[in-house]
Amino acid sequence: MNNGFTLTNPWLQWQQTLVDETITNLGKVAHIPTIFRRAQQIRKGVTPSEVVYEEDRLKVRHYLSDQKPKYRTPLVFIYALVNRPYILDLKKGRSVVANFVEKGFDTYLVDWGIPTPADRYLTLDDYINGYMVAVLDYIRKRTGAKTVNVLGYCMGGTMSAMFTSLHQRCVRNLLLLAAPIDFASNDSLLNVWTRPENFDVDKFVDAFGNCPPEFLQAGFLLLRPVGNLLEKPINFYEHMHEEKFIDDFLTTETWLQDNIPVPGEVYRQFVKYLYQQNLLTQARLPVGRHIVNLRNITCPVLNIMAGKDDLVPCGQSAPFNDLVGSKDRKTILLEGSGHIGLAIGGRAQKEVWPQACQWLADRSE
Amino acid sequence: MDQDFEKTAEQAAAFQKLWVDSASKIMQAAFTISPNSPPPEIMRQIRAGIFQALANSWEEFMRSPQFLDSMKQWMENAITFRKMTTDFMARVRNEMQAPSREDIDTIMLNIRHLEKRLLDRLDELEAQMSAVKHPATGNGRARPRPKTVAPKGAAKSRRAPVQKP
Repeated sequence: MNNGFTLTNPWLQWQQTLVDETITNLGKVAHIPTIFRRAQQIRKGVTPSEVVYEEDRLKVRHYLSDQKPKYRTPLVFIYALVNRPYILDLKKGRSVVANFVEKGFDTYLVDWGIPTPADRYLTLDDYINGYMVAVLDYIRKRTGAKTVNVLGYCMGGTMSAMFTSLHQRCVRNLLLLAAPIDFASNDSLLNVWTRPENFDVDKFVDAFGNCPPEFLQAGFLLLRPVGNLLEKPINFYEHMHEEKFIDDFLTTETWLQDNIPVPGEVYRQFVKYLYQQNLLTQARLPVGRHIVNLRNITCPVLNIMAGKDDLVPCGQSAPFNDLVGSKDRKTILLEGSGHIGLAIGGRAQKEVWPQACQWLADRSE
Repeated sequence: MDQDFEKTAEQAAAFQKLWVDSASKIMQAAFTISPNSPPPEIMRQIRAGIFQALANSWEEFMRSPQFLDSMKQWMENAITFRKMTTDFMARVRNEMQAPSREDIDTIMLNIRHLEKRLLDRLDELEAQMSAVKHPATGNGRARPRPKTVAPKGAAKSRRAPVQKP
């Protein structure tokens, strides 16, 4: 009778819950010092690597493997100029790089380094026709391969598309991961905020030089204010006693907070030419003395997108396959995943990367 | 002055509407919970409802002209403040016979222009050399540089030219 009363009386249930929650909360608070200690010990990049090329602030990492590469064509990861590239090799079981290394690809990663105020005048031309040409030439010479597979993530994907359009003869296969290409739609808040009537990029760059990391970080946070400022801390508090959750949370947050400035002129060009004028899709984007025409891309392309990406919505990436001159084009869409989840999420590791590795293996020597 | 007041009042009204909407959505979420659900689950459902309502309202608000106007104002203030501090620091440093950030930027820009001129000249020389080496190409005229190979630092300009539509 008592049992029946306890189960059906909501007030007793609430009291019981209150006591249970208080005990759980005390246990969670006791975890805080451990979490602080662990946050300081987070590793940045897990796959063994060595730096094989350096130029100015740029470094090229070569990933080491016990086995000999199965494919002669090397694979180069081109990361964005925003944040640090170790998101692609975040931790064991969540590393995009490790997927390709384990499948026998000779894998390299371009780390652009952290720009200083002296880099404020670097342009897209310096990165695409300067650094990227030098890096790919070096890798081709080092491996003896005539062509290279290129995988670009986010802004690095846009830059990889520009590079391939101008230097198609160097690229065997092109993989884009959440790369913004068509800036016409207003799906993303960034497109709305950077409209010429809302944002004077010339005034901004003239005053600040490099785009400050705090400014970028604030913009990214405001894309999902409720998720980032409310849901995330609450979710953290609720799961802070779970070992695996804390490990994932700390590694991801360490990367998210590791912002770097973007060279002023690159930022100016990216906002003006792409966000405001959408020149890439119209074959009118100037990079140095060249005009980028995506029709010049004739190699096989794989376009990987996330269905719930706030930063680069599908509408910005999807048109790419229709704009290139390639006949061999494929799209992988991971529904329900976000921008970062596409790289490190559990589902991406199971559903996207094995497919992408196979796609590349089928097209590599 | 009146216009400013009107604008502020509009912004306040938009913000108030956001919170009234959110509160009504929270209440809706709370009343749709089944009474048989266990309490923590009820709390989670209410919370999810609140967050969803808030997220939708914020998304709407951040696309509104009111928010865009205040964002623009905020940016302009930040730029003005930055310029003021840069000018002030430049004056202080120059008074102390030390180089300011502006001086360094000017030197950097001059170096970039020098680099560009040198690279352009090298390109011309390369084309002339190539014409001398392969006179058959282009009837003795300088062979144009392949479009796919651009030298580092080619055609740099301080400000990207605005494309005419």
